Amino acid sequence: MLKEFREYYKNNKFQFILTDLEGSVIDSDQNLFRTEKGTALGEIHPFFFSISDIMGPNREKTVFHCVQLGNSTEELTVDIEIIKQNGQFLIAIENLTEHYISYQSIAQARNESIIDSELILLKNHDLEERERFKNEFIQNFSHELRNPLTNIIALTNILQRSQLDEEQSNILTVLKDSTSNLKLMLEDILSLAMISKGKLALNPTVFNFKQLIEFLKLTYNTRAKERGLIFTITADESIPEYIEGDRLRLLQILTNLCDNAIKYTPNGKIILYAIQNQRRANKVNLRFGVKDTGIGIPEEKLETVLESFEQLGNTEGVGLGLSIVKGLLSLMDSRIQIESTSGKGSHFFFDVNLQFPLHDPNNETPDKKSKNEVVQKQKKYRVLLVEDNEGVQTSLLKTLIDAGDFFIDLVSDGALVMQEIVNKSYDIILMDVNLPNITGDQLAKVIRGFPFKNIKSIPIIGITANSYKAQIKAYKKAGMNVVLSKPFDDKELLSNIYKLLK
Amino acid sequence: MQISKKVVVLGHFGVGKTSLIRRFVEDSFSDNYKVSIGVHITKKTIEFSIDESVTLILWDLEGTDDISQIRESYLLGSHGIIFVFDVSRPTTFQNLGKDLISLKEKTNEVPVKIVGNKSDLVDAKELDQVLSEKNISYDYITSAKTGHKVNHLFEELAKMLAINA
Ligand SMILES: Nc1nc2c(ncn2[C@@H]2O[C@H](COP(=O)(O)OP(=O)(O)OP(=O)(O)O)[C@@H](O)[C@H]2O)c(=O)[nH]1
Ligand SMILES: [Mg+2]
Repeated sequence: MLKEFREYYKNNKFQFILTDLEGSVIDSDQNLFRTEKGTALGEIHPFFFSISDIMGPNREKTVFHCVQLGNSTEELTVDIEIIKQNGQFLIAIENLTEHYISYQSIAQARNESIIDSELILLKNHDLEERERFKNEFIQNFSHELRNPLTNIIALTNILQRSQLDEEQSNILTVLKDSTSNLKLMLEDILSLAMISKGKLALNPTVFNFKQLIEFLKLTYNTRAKERGLIFTITADESIPEYIEGDRLRLLQILTNLCDNAIKYTPNGKIILYAIQNQRRANKVNLRFGVKDTGIGIPEEKLETVLESFEQLGNTEGVGLGLSIVKGLLSLMDSRIQIESTSGKGSHFFFDVNLQFPLHDPNNETPDKKSKNEVVQKQKKYRVLLVEDNEGVQTSLLKTLIDAGDFFIDLVSDGALVMQEIVNKSYDIILMDVNLPNITGDQLAKVIRGFPFKNIKSIPIIGITANSYKAQIKAYKKAGMNVVLSKPFDDKELLSNIYKLLK
Repeated sequence: MQISKKVVVLGHFGVGKTSLIRRFVEDSFSDNYKVSIGVHITKKTIEFSIDESVTLILWDLEGTDDISQIRESYLLGSHGIIFVFDVSRPTTFQNLGKDLISLKEKTNEVPVKIVGNKSDLVDAKELDQVLSEKNISYDYITSAKTGHKVNHLFEELAKMLAINA
């Protein structure tokens, strides 16, 4: 029984061949494939073609695993052992097809999954590259736009104070609206690019929460009315009057949500609400939400609605609003949530942790405006304006002249500044940080290091197209008292000047 | 004179070794990927003139991302080696220098041709830039899919081996 089994097994599993050193068959069984005596083994399968080369002059024995000897109709995967003995080759072939078929399927799955994941990584890398490039481009581009926009805003303000007839005045109002819209859009684009690059930082201050709500009420009541919509705003009485947080960014989030609601609500109403979720020590958790009765968001779009440039339908305007909201909220460790029914309306809301001062900040910060008023109109101040861009020069000059409180000297080259300040005594220096020959911050450092007190303590206001926090900090560290990022309007500039002149 | 030369085709998996050989031997191509295991051997005779030809015995090896793991028996008695990488997958060529060193340790003087395959998948200029940035020199850029430079590769290698014989 065992003998028969062994025979049967051997016959199906093995073939033994004897050849001369040229590979010509001397003897063979026919278990796996037919081999006639005298034929060159290389003719049967090319594996054996180079058998004498493989064995070379010195090799006694070699084993080859997993050799495919099959043809197009039949698979045959074998291990082959070749032994050189007495001027002959003994060849043992073991059929391991079954075994190797299962090995193949494992290798197939493994290789495919590795290649797939490689390709996914590559694709992600590409996408990141493109995203990075896009952000960089947008950022540079918006910086470039700031200079001309600053000029337009400044000159428009000047123009408004001149003698105008009614038509001119109307045109100017439209012009002003358009530029301030443009400025807002530019800020949005820039914020988005900076958020994506992780370069936007929050700037928390103490602010009057009621005033913020009042401001929103005023703005959106008017805008909603213009479109025949009803706008209501409610805020819990329990919310502290003063809140510490980034007022500007909070406002940006809420205006984006309200703008969006107005844009997508053809009729009905919009509700903005603020609820106090929790309050402990000096921390408060607030929920803000905006509900509308607008067109709503189809379920399949809920996922993508927060991505850049994604828009619902064909409404005008850039669809940046919601992605800015998303980005700003993530800076505040919060997240926008959306409930929406297509055709019925949407509800956007978020919870945010803020702080509030435990004492009344009113006692420390008396109203600044009235004091500023008093400081003005005493005498004329000497201003040194250091600016090489002609457009900016003109608009700054006009603002200063218009204010009527200043004698102004203008230099456009940083290298000439030292000479000027030593020879004349200035009350304040207004300088662009990007100057030919020497940069503004270098210049500020030199001035602050001067041995004469009247020179080294001259207030310096830096003007930059850059709004990176780190950069602005560096300018201040170099000795600038205030750094204004373009675009700013003349009010902002003047109030800073008067503050420093006090 | 009838001569035959053993040429081993190796490289990382999925780079198109089997496809290059199939394009050369049968002039066909398939988009399906069937992973090769062990070794599969085919031959093709190239005629240079009426009485001059070389038969290439092509050993198509199982691909691996670790060249040092290749079974040495497969390399015995080889006359030429074709090292294939995939131009669309940086992992298959980013360690090319190291791969070639570990190959040399096993094969000594056997000449190696370096082939970047799947040229149809990438932009030629970008590829040039990537390869020169990574300091990778190659002998042929091919496409088994379009057939670009495939015959060229095998014929030049055959000629070189015939002269060496
Ligand atoms: N586009 C394109 N695809 C190719 C080319 N060459 C091979 N492929 C594809 O790449 C995959 C792998 O090809 P194979 O020839 O099996 O690769 P291999 O190097 O033999 O792979 P292993 O046997 O696993 O080492 C298959 O899907 C082929 O269709 C080419 O030149 N262009
Ligand atoms: Mg293969």
